[in-house]
Amino acid sequence: MDNSAKHLLQRLVRRIPVSMLKSTLDKWERLTAEKRKSLDFTQSKWIITQELVALYITENPNQGMWHTFQLVEPEDDAHSVELMQFKELFKSHLRELQRNVSVKIKKHTDQAVWIRVAWGDGLSSPNHLKATYVVLYLQTPYVFVNALSSKHKPLLLQALTLSTRHQQIKAANLSGQKLTALRDLLMRQYQQVKLRVEKVQAEASANRHRMARETFGDGMLPALQSAVFKLETKFKGPTNEAMTQRDEPFICSVKFSSSNLLESLRHCASSGIASTPVTPMLSSIPLKGRNYFVITDNVLTA
Amino acid sequence: WNAERRRRRRRRRRPRRRLVSSFCYCLLFSSELWSVNRAWRGLAKGTLSYVTPLYQFRHTQLKSYSRQLSAFIAAEKQEGLAVEVGGLQNTFKVSFSVLRFRQEDPPKTVWCGWLSCINGNPEYLQSLPKDFTCLPLFCSKGAEDLSSLVKSWLQRTFDCCFGPLDINQTTLQWLAALWTNCHMETNIQNLKMIWTLPVLPPLQVTYTVDSDDVLDLWRSTRESSAEKSREAEDEVCIDFSEVTRFMQGLMSHFYRHFRVDLSAGELNQVSSALGSAKVNGKIKISSSRYLISIFSLLTECALLKMPI
Repeated sequence: MDNSAKHLLQRLVRRIPVSMLKSTLDKWERLTAEKRKSLDFTQSKWIITQELVALYITENPNQGMWHTFQLVEPEDDAHSVELMQFKELFKSHLRELQRNVSVKIKKHTDQAVWIRVAWGDGLSSPNHLKATYVVLYLQTPYVFVNALSSKHKPLLLQALTLSTRHQQIKAANLSGQKLTALRDLLMRQYQQVKLRVEKVQAEASANRHRMARETFGDGMLPALQSAVFKLETKFKGPTNEAMTQRDEPFICSVKFSSSNLLESLRHCASSGIASTPVTPMLSSIPLKGRNYFVITDNVLTA
Repeated sequence: WNAERRRRRRRRRRPRRRLVSSFCYCLLFSSELWSVNRAWRGLAKGTLSYVTPLYQFRHTQLKSYSRQLSAFIAAEKQEGLAVEVGGLQNTFKVSFSVLRFRQEDPPKTVWCGWLSCINGNPEYLQSLPKDFTCLPLFCSKGAEDLSSLVKSWLQRTFDCCFGPLDINQTTLQWLAALWTNCHMETNIQNLKMIWTLPVLPPLQVTYTVDSDDVLDLWRSTRESSAEKSREAEDEVCIDFSEVTRFMQGLMSHFYRHFRVDLSAGELNQVSSALGSAKVNGKIKISSSRYLISIFSLLTECALLKMPI
């Protein structure tokens, strides 16, 4: 809604008697019944005008210029931020930065959180006709902003970052008039990223299972109960220089035991407890048909 | 006695030397008593439980308690609750004062146990109401039915309750480090650790390291920390971060060979020639070295496990 339309609306509301305001709006039919119900006609006309403007904008979001921002570096609890918590945090952060500010937050049916911020300076009360609108979806990192002046930009961005439990926010280089288009573009991309991650994980799991079966076999395995490795190799530890430089071997022995050792080892491989591909130390058990090994440095490198 | 102080956490305050009653005296007397009467060795073995604070326990009443417990066991026996005392059918002696052990070698000990509190958390101890004595660590060795009888008597006499003490991973790791440290003075022969991995069927990994090699590893993890390891008999300070690095060294050597991550499993048992400890509370201590530290750790375990 551009400024001239807003002023027109303001003048109209001022001229229409209060008693006729409700019925006039009903006839106007530009607002849904639900939204009309939410208007409180006992308030001053000035406030009613502001509400009307806000309602109009939320109903017709594809106007004005929307700019997109992306929240980055989430804190540990970023994923569990829910609406009530966000509302409180956002309001308190913003009020700390600018005292004379009016904030209204509402969640729409499509999970979008709409925020209307009316800015006032030291002398004047918050101006709702020149309010900034913010739309965000709590479980995604994207934020859409409309009508934000450069003066208020750092304040709003800081409040958003803190209340969504992230460390930074950056411009996403995506702007346009149609909020719905911007949103759809990003949500689809976001869905794709999530799906790709799930796909990679599923592939990794399938790989592990395959390698476990290839190494140890399918189905029922012979119920071998133990395997012993006598290790006479030099110490191997990534962070311990003193021990790695030692010439003498680190003498130890390892015994694996289970009611069915091969099944246990296969499960280790498929569940990721044993890294795949399975080390020759373990695969030697089924491949060579042995369960007693003496491992020296020569044997290991072979 | 010469207390061996272990600074375990950076923010831990020096615990007040809170004196504990009766049973514990025997264990606080360090090496002197130990070497004098080797009968003590048998005591440091058994199954551990935690016990909630005892109401109106008076260490001046030990003789009376002995008589009461004796009568209680005899009465339960008569009621047919089978108590096999192997030969000693009618004469049944219950001895409550540990100091007595100095003078007489018991003819045949069929059961023994102890209650103890070593270096218990002073804040907790001070928070207890006046009439309560806190001896949270209970060890019993002997016939299971006798253990139940004794516990049952203690419960009804002092309004306390018992529960199994699971020795946690942290304590087991501490014991591994402490026993390894002991190898500088006493041959521990080897350090044995048993892990269980959560697969089907469960996989047990027994990892035994030669004593000299494990000591070298332990020393190398200590040298990298700011404090040089002091070899004075009575004053050794070990930080838990050193214990963690030590365990990580062991696990990474294991990983480099088997590519199996032991930290995905649970450490169930640690043992050496100096003793053994299992996660189910079974403990055996064969040397008096670091006894205070070990019992301090176990006391802490017991206090953590307590429901109140």
